[in-house]
Amino acid sequence: MKVFSNAETFNYSWEEVSTANWRKYCPWNDKSTHVVAVDTISRSVDPATGILRTERLITCQQSAPEWLKKILGAGMEESQVLETSYVDPANKTVTMVSANLTWSNLINVQETVVYKPLNEHQTQFTQDAKITALCGGWQRIKNSIEDTMVKRFRENAAKGKEGFEAVLAMSRRVFAEEREREKMTLLMSQAANIRMAQAV
Amino acid sequence: MSQSLATQCNEVKERYDTCFLKWYSEKYLRGTSTADNNECSSLFKEYSQCLQGALKDRGIDKLLEDAREDNKENDAAFMGRKNCK
Repeated sequence: MKVFSNAETFNYSWEEVSTANWRKYCPWNDKSTHVVAVDTISRSVDPATGILRTERLITCQQSAPEWLKKILGAGMEESQVLETSYVDPANKTVTMVSANLTWSNLINVQETVVYKPLNEHQTQFTQDAKITALCGGWQRIKNSIEDTMVKRFRENAAKGKEGFEAVLAMSRRVFAEEREREKMTLLMSQAANIRMAQAV
Repeated sequence: MSQSLATQCNEVKERYDTCFLKWYSEKYLRGTSTADNNECSSLFKEYSQCLQGALKDRGIDKLLEDAREDNKENDAAFMGRKNCK
């Protein structure tokens, strides 16, 4: 088993980060292009704790190195991951656990991501991935598979941070514009009311 | 928003995602709505129905069942149910 760990700080509030997290993989993020589809499979709120539990199916397209393709065979360009997330609004924590659905008899990838507030304006991101090659066979091959996955995680993590920063910036802008529009609508309706009152 | 695995579900997915994001940021995070059955549930139903066939065709439904089974420990840990003493 190999482990990949990573931690980042985002200069946005936990509320902003946890909201933008739902659209991390959208056209605003032009870095994480290996994610081609994100589907929500189930979603529920626990009435006792208020925890929001969501299952998302994440479809990736990223080709494996040639030597690995030879072992796995063709047709492995598309792969799926199940991400189960838990938003705890009382403790301001988002926990996301992801596991690979594809080639799960060959390799086991378990990733845990946590978003927690550092203060009112900053959010801490921590990522832990445990990678275990399962194929009965040479240890050398297992090691190579695990190393390849760790390398992939490292590359995707760097791109992921950059891409998510872009999404956060866009989200902040869009929310500000929305608030501005709502204010304008309110002002215009007030003005209309005044005009109507004057006309009477 | 991101694409759906099944292109025929993209339209309803987009409407659902937009609805959810609004509910999440304006109500859920502010603690004014913690109900499961909210304004987005009928859209979610529609979206799920669309997706179901696509998951079956690709054999993903079976993989999902197995993965859910494996995730039970995480559910117990992160749903905060501490009544198993």
